[in-house]
Amino acid sequence: MSKSMSYAILEAIQGEMRRDKLLTLLYEYQQPAARWGNRTINLEKEFGRWRARFSAIDENWIVGGALGMSMIGVRAIAHIPSMTTLIPYELMFNHAGKLRHMTGGQAAFPMVLWADMQGRSPFQAGQHADAGLESCYARLAGLKVVIPSNPYDAKGLMISAIRDVDPVVFCQYPVPASGPDVPDEPYIVPIGQAVVRTQGKDITIVGYARQTLEIAKAVEQLKQRGISAEFIDPRTLAPLEQVMVTIIKSVKKTGKLLTSDDGSYSFCNCTEIIARVAEAVPGVTFKRLAFPDAPPPGAPEMINYMRVSAADIVAAAEKMVRG
Amino acid sequence: MNGQGRDNENKAALSIGAQDPKGIPRRTFIQGLSAIGIGSIFFSTGLAKEAKAQSVSTYIDSLSTKQLRTMYTEMLKIRLWETKIKDLALKGGFRGVAHLYVGEEAIAVGVCSALRRDDYIASTHRGHGHLIAKGGDLNLMLAEITHKATGYCKGYGGSLHITDMGLGILGMNGIVGASHLFGAGAAYGIKVKGADQVVVSFGGDGSIQGSFFTSAANSAAAYKLPWISIIENNQFQIWVRCSDVYGVRDLARRADGYGIEGRVVDGNDVLAVYDAAKYAVEKARAGGGPTVIECKTYRWYDHYGFRGSKIGRDGAFGLGYRSDRELREWMAKDPIPRFRRFLVNEKVLTEELADEIVAEVTKAVEDAAAFAKAQPVPKPEDGLSNVFAEGAVPLHKN
Repeated sequence: MSKSMSYAILEAIQGEMRRDKLLTLLYEYQQPAARWGNRTINLEKEFGRWRARFSAIDENWIVGGALGMSMIGVRAIAHIPSMTTLIPYELMFNHAGKLRHMTGGQAAFPMVLWADMQGRSPFQAGQHADAGLESCYARLAGLKVVIPSNPYDAKGLMISAIRDVDPVVFCQYPVPASGPDVPDEPYIVPIGQAVVRTQGKDITIVGYARQTLEIAKAVEQLKQRGISAEFIDPRTLAPLEQVMVTIIKSVKKTGKLLTSDDGSYSFCNCTEIIARVAEAVPGVTFKRLAFPDAPPPGAPEMINYMRVSAADIVAAAEKMVRG
Repeated sequence: MNGQGRDNENKAALSIGAQDPKGIPRRTFIQGLSAIGIGSIFFSTGLAKEAKAQSVSTYIDSLSTKQLRTMYTEMLKIRLWETKIKDLALKGGFRGVAHLYVGEEAIAVGVCSALRRDDYIASTHRGHGHLIAKGGDLNLMLAEITHKATGYCKGYGGSLHITDMGLGILGMNGIVGASHLFGAGAAYGIKVKGADQVVVSFGGDGSIQGSFFTSAANSAAAYKLPWISIIENNQFQIWVRCSDVYGVRDLARRADGYGIEGRVVDGNDVLAVYDAAKYAVEKARAGGGPTVIECKTYRWYDHYGFRGSKIGRDGAFGLGYRSDRELREWMAKDPIPRFRRFLVNEKVLTEELADEIVAEVTKAVEDAAAFAKAQPVPKPEDGLSNVFAEGAVPLHKN
């Protein structure tokens, strides 16, 4: 059994807390404890309550407190629950993302906003099943945004985020364990680097987080139908420059870009990726799959119809390749 | 519990926030305070005036037999409807989720009994009880919590967002603290309209720390809004113990800093809750401004779902963040049998009549389950509607 995403992230933080004796985690109710086989991690037990502190239901404290301590050199991680993704938005927008620039480079916020994100799960409805809000953070200047799709990337990206001298928003979607095994020792997945998950020549498919599972299924089905798809996981949404190098290289080869997103159709992250490809490569065929511009309904009949499935990806790709 | 005993207990409940000096019996201490003009309300901004109003009589004296029986019935409805949800979920195949309110019924019923039908409430993620106490239909509620097309929200909302706007319920809310803000905003709207309604915002102990509560409380105080904030202090914010993350034990004390009268009551005593709520409602309606009432209570089940619970047994045990002994201690303070004993002692009910009410409510709950089961599921494309008042948004898949 491979390590879960939660275990991999806590393993990353544990290693960094051992390395940096000041690194501090503020959180609400999501205990920083996990088990894998007969191994357990419990950050509060290991490092004490001052360095792993739960709080009242108060995201402004968790994020604002982490920003304040990071300003005096105490690196901090602010862990907020999934239904509160945008509550600390003002702090990240007008403070975290701007202060370095406004002070001519004097101020720094070496902090991580570790945001739990929601899937498009049935029965939750409205406020507990939305997705795609990472695009709100990715459009803010001065912030880096990473979004791992498997435990291996989660651990490596969390370590990069902690060591970064700028504020990083680390988005954790509920994704089951997949991908390469997670080594015990610390390692880096660099911020800003996409990964080609499957090589192909007929069409480029881009997606991240929960959509990587649907895309992986679709790529297999397309292969059986004689279509060779290249699947790219951006992993970082801001800054996007290096990510685009990988995607543009692929689209120059295939001439077709299909994106798949759990976020809403308008202003989803893939919209930005499509725009950048359109600027860089002439004559490309595009298709954007995303959740409709609607809140998520609770009933499974409705939400399952609305979210992007492997079948939707296969159908769109076939249409693009075969016309 | 006889009438006199209840009355004493009620007065004591109203003064929970006080630090009794050692060696002075509570009753004597309260009388002593009354003598120096402080009375039984603490954390008050208009101490002497309210003390005078409260020391003479309580609002519970004017409750009719019919009202008292209705209160008992409503409490049972909440208990048995939610217990049915738990049993259905544990059986498997239940199309929904739930944050159970069981154990806290006295608050919803005590508060809503003090309201007029056209008054408003704003509710929380733990809102089934509020909806039932405000007059919610058990059938439509069960259809909604199982996401059926004919439920209160046509299957869109489910447990977290189940509501009947027609009953003056400004939505359940899955985002902690928002109920305070929308409640205070609605109270402002009432002033603009020149109406005499009031608004009650329900929120848990965790709901008063975010900025929503501050914004609501400050504006309600500044503009003397007809707003009552009910803090349901069930001791836990998910699994985090309230006393580990707050510097005050009695959360109603915070009201004083905003210039609002704050009161603490025993949230497992429906009459104590009613009394405090009725006082606040009358005051708000008369232009006297807001009140914050903290109701001390306990959540019998886990924050969410059914962990630690069994079919046919009340309460969730072995949860780790609390002891089973603590749960049993609170279950012994069950607000429902406590109220029933009072009603029987007061001759408002006989044991036989009380049993009849239990049988009626049990049947109504069974009927609701059968109703919900027979209802159709929504059409997939319905998810694209109700985004705006008119039309549907495009699916964008083709």
